[in-house]
Amino acid sequence: MADLFRIGDRVRTRRTDPPYHTRLPRYARGAAGTVTDLLGRYPLPDRRARRLAAEPEPVYAVAFTAGELFGEGDHTVTIDLWESYLEPAEAEPRGGDAAGAKALAREARK
Amino acid sequence: MSADHGGPAAGPAARVRRLEALLEQRGLLDTELLDRALGAFLDSASPANGARLAARAWVDEGFRRRLLADANAALPELGLSMGGGLQEQRLKVVQNTADRHNVIVCTLCSCYPLALLGPSPTWYKSEAYRSRVVRDPRTVLREFGFELEPRVAISVWDSSAEARYMVLPRRPAGTEDLGEPELAALVTRNGLIGVAPL
Amino acid sequence: MNDVGGMQGFPPVPQEPDEPPFHADWEAHVFGINSALIGRGVYNLDEFRDAIERIPPQEYLASSYYERWLRAITMLLAERGVVTEEELAGG
Repeated sequence: MADLFRIGDRVRTRRTDPPYHTRLPRYARGAAGTVTDLLGRYPLPDRRARRLAAEPEPVYAVAFTAGELFGEGDHTVTIDLWESYLEPAEAEPRGGDAAGAKALAREARK
Repeated sequence: MSADHGGPAAGPAARVRRLEALLEQRGLLDTELLDRALGAFLDSASPANGARLAARAWVDEGFRRRLLADANAALPELGLSMGGGLQEQRLKVVQNTADRHNVIVCTLCSCYPLALLGPSPTWYKSEAYRSRVVRDPRTVLREFGFELEPRVAISVWDSSAEARYMVLPRRPAGTEDLGEPELAALVTRNGLIGVAPL
Repeated sequence: MNDVGGMQGFPPVPQEPDEPPFHADWEAHVFGINSALIGRGVYNLDEFRDAIERIPPQEYLASSYYERWLRAITMLLAERGVVTEEELAGG
């Protein structure tokens, strides 16, 4: 099965707050970022932790601006996220850090 | 309760001894093997490995490029690897430049390139570091005595999945005459994590 | 309790110059035991992290890093019937 996302794609993390183990940090839920790297395929830890069958799925490095995550700051935070945690983002990020998003996408394509 | 009992009131050392004895009885642990494995791990894994990688990358442009493009493939050139643990982990080396400084964290637990750098420092595992470095890295760096120029952008890397990260610090000025071992001696663990320039 | 990224209110980062890789032998042994049990497939790494996250908050906050590891390991072993708390406590 092909990867859902490519380097440079804008993605948004899901807002779920599961009662079980997950590797989507709270501070990044519902945030829009840019895929900057493909990190291989691994089974979803949410399922592995509960001994449920889990097929390997793509893991992406996703870069977020501090503005997007915390509403302040001029740094970026890159978080490694399983595909199940992500969905395509809208063309422009909500909350308006369009300049930051475009800069990240340019950086990722270098 | 005597110190040999492993109940809740016993200190962790007694509980661990008791646990090892029980596991060994059940054939799930070989304490001799464990001691040897621990010894081998501590002997082979230390920040000196990361420092050697940095020094080689500074003197050898081709190696630097290979290290940044595919660190796992480049490590064996120095006799290093990310294997030897539970499974070989993907390593990403991120380089500091005049415009960008990198710092590594694992906010969710304490993931760290153990096979390369050895056990992580206690501060790296602390709630204080893990909570604050993603929100305000500049202040955290300042607490380590590292005042980063305002024009230098910071990239924080949260090792939330299977990849492990290491920083390639910038080669300091005035080191043109130094050989690799001397260059490696300049690099610290804090520099490889990103809370120091070197 | 583990998901602390971005959380506010924590103090300056505690630093200990020249700290040893492990502060006590038992810590190193906990590290080694965990590797051995995961290597043998008694549980996997994700189950281990999940167990740490299931430590009751009061206990979690009152425990040091490797005490949490020890707690998680004994929790998993008890859940699998490999080693019970009574056996661990008994003499």
